Amino acid sequence: MILRAAYFLKRALRNMRQSPVLSMASIGTVAVALALLAFFAIAVLNVQQLTASWGENLAIVVYLDDVPDEKIVKGWAKDIGTYPEVASVTFVSRKEAFERFRKRLGDDADLVEGLGPDVLPASLEISLADDWRSESVLTTVVERLRKDHRFDDLQYGQGWLEKLEAFLFLLRVSGSALGGFLVFAALVIVANTIKLTLYARQDELEAMAMVGGTSLFIKLPYLVEGALQGLLGGLAALGLSFLVFQLILQKSLGSMLLITGIDTIHFLPPIWPGLLIIGGGFIGLLGSLFALRKFVRFVAP
Amino acid sequence: MIQLFNVCKAYQRGENALNDITLKVEKGEFVYLTGPSGAGKSTLLKLLYCAERPTRGQILVNARNITRYGPARIPYLRRNLGIIFQDFKLLKRRTVYENVAFPLEVQGRKRYEISKKVYQTLKSVGLEHRLKHYPLQLSGGEQQRVAVARALVVDPLILLADEPTGNLDPEVTLDIMELFKSANARGTTIIMATHDRNLIRQFPRRIVALDAGSLATDDLPLFRGTNGISGQTGMTGQP
Ligand SMILES: Nc1ncnc2c1ncn2[C@@H]1O[C@H](COP(=O)(O)OP(=O)(O)OP(=O)(O)O)[C@@H](O)[C@H]1O
Ligand SMILES: [Mg+2]
Repeated sequence: MILRAAYFLKRALRNMRQSPVLSMASIGTVAVALALLAFFAIAVLNVQQLTASWGENLAIVVYLDDVPDEKIVKGWAKDIGTYPEVASVTFVSRKEAFERFRKRLGDDADLVEGLGPDVLPASLEISLADDWRSESVLTTVVERLRKDHRFDDLQYGQGWLEKLEAFLFLLRVSGSALGGFLVFAALVIVANTIKLTLYARQDELEAMAMVGGTSLFIKLPYLVEGALQGLLGGLAALGLSFLVFQLILQKSLGSMLLITGIDTIHFLPPIWPGLLIIGGGFIGLLGSLFALRKFVRFVAP
Repeated sequence: MIQLFNVCKAYQRGENALNDITLKVEKGEFVYLTGPSGAGKSTLLKLLYCAERPTRGQILVNARNITRYGPARIPYLRRNLGIIFQDFKLLKRRTVYENVAFPLEVQGRKRYEISKKVYQTLKSVGLEHRLKHYPLQLSGGEQQRVAVARALVVDPLILLADEPTGNLDPEVTLDIMELFKSANARGTTIIMATHDRNLIRQFPRRIVALDAGSLATDDLPLFRGTNGISGQTGMTGQP
């Protein structure tokens, strides 16, 4: 069995050695297609990281112009706390707000020198429960608060997340469409290069069929060849995308996303590299299966 | 060994290439298939090794009905056959040794078994000193001997030869015929398509003649004292 596997591998390698240009062509197309797919994946995954961190900030702030009695405010906070979507409600007094502001300014704290805590309003900060963290829930909570005339100065997500999610969706769709197209193109090209080697070896295929080679025996070397080319293409795609990631993507995407508070750009997560290589092998296998479909014939049609 | 019942074969367009052929070939027989060009000799052989399917009728080979054989069973039928063509059909990029080893390799035989058998067979056709050569480095007669070795290396039940001497000069033709005769003597049934009247005269055997797809005559040579298709048991291997 092992000897047989070695036999087919040897024949596949011999075929590839005998037509190096064709082999390189199919390895190259698989590599380019999968590398582009990987670029998109890197972009999508990193922007996704952004929405996750923004989602955590999904909160509603109720500004209070006139600060009533602490007891009354506590009562309000309790009322809002009963909403099922709400995780917690915190009261931030004018003083606390001012302190926070000063801290955030850091070295520029002297800008607020001479100003009193009464420049900033007090507020109730409402954060949503984990399961309810989405733009639509946010809006329904805001609607409900609006109806309550005690709270009318509200600040919340303002559609940013929605826009970002729409952008992500677009990125994902265009990435999958382009990726799908490229993978299909790679499939066709691999199929055609294998077909060319089959044409060159037609006499051999015919002779094998004539002396009693089974369909599998005749096809296997070519299937191995296709899978091997695909695996190599996948490996090349991985190398290529890592190189481009290191040289270009990390910097450009990094500076693009830095303003949004994300400071580390990640390469593909752990299982992706394996997936890329196996995917390449799969493309190659499918391509050669496609090429062989009409090639090995025992009976005239 | 081989039986045809009312076999017809029509290619996509056109008349029948074979027309209502009924024929029986016993084990160990040597049969010439003759007839003018286009009579259907090659077609009949193709039906026997399942490269074409009959349009009508049934074909039995070795007590099996091969009429509707598909890709799953054809390979195993062909392992019992030796097939030889006018143009040899050797693999140009493979050595003589590799060409003859090919059918055994396809059957998954062990390597030492292959090398022993290939050497033996090449020796029997007188080419054991050529095993490292490539087909195009050999003469036509030598190439056909390699093809014969490739057909015989599996000890086939049946040898199907389509004008095997069509491209060879008379002397080389005799060499090939000697190889066929000794294979026949060892029990291989042989069906050989040929135009060569001299050859038939020199080695008289049963003759099946086709004409425009129909069976014209099916005769033993007259001087053997029998006619018709009965009683061919004495044919085996005798000159
Ligand atoms: N693949 C094919 N497609 C269509 N017609 C074919 C095909 N092969 C053979 N024929 C036709 O079938 C008929 C018989 O052909 P076949 O090759 O069997 O003749 P043959 O007796 O072997 O002739 P030759 O002595 O010239 O080799 C011919 O009319 C031929 O044109
Ligand atoms: Mg012919």
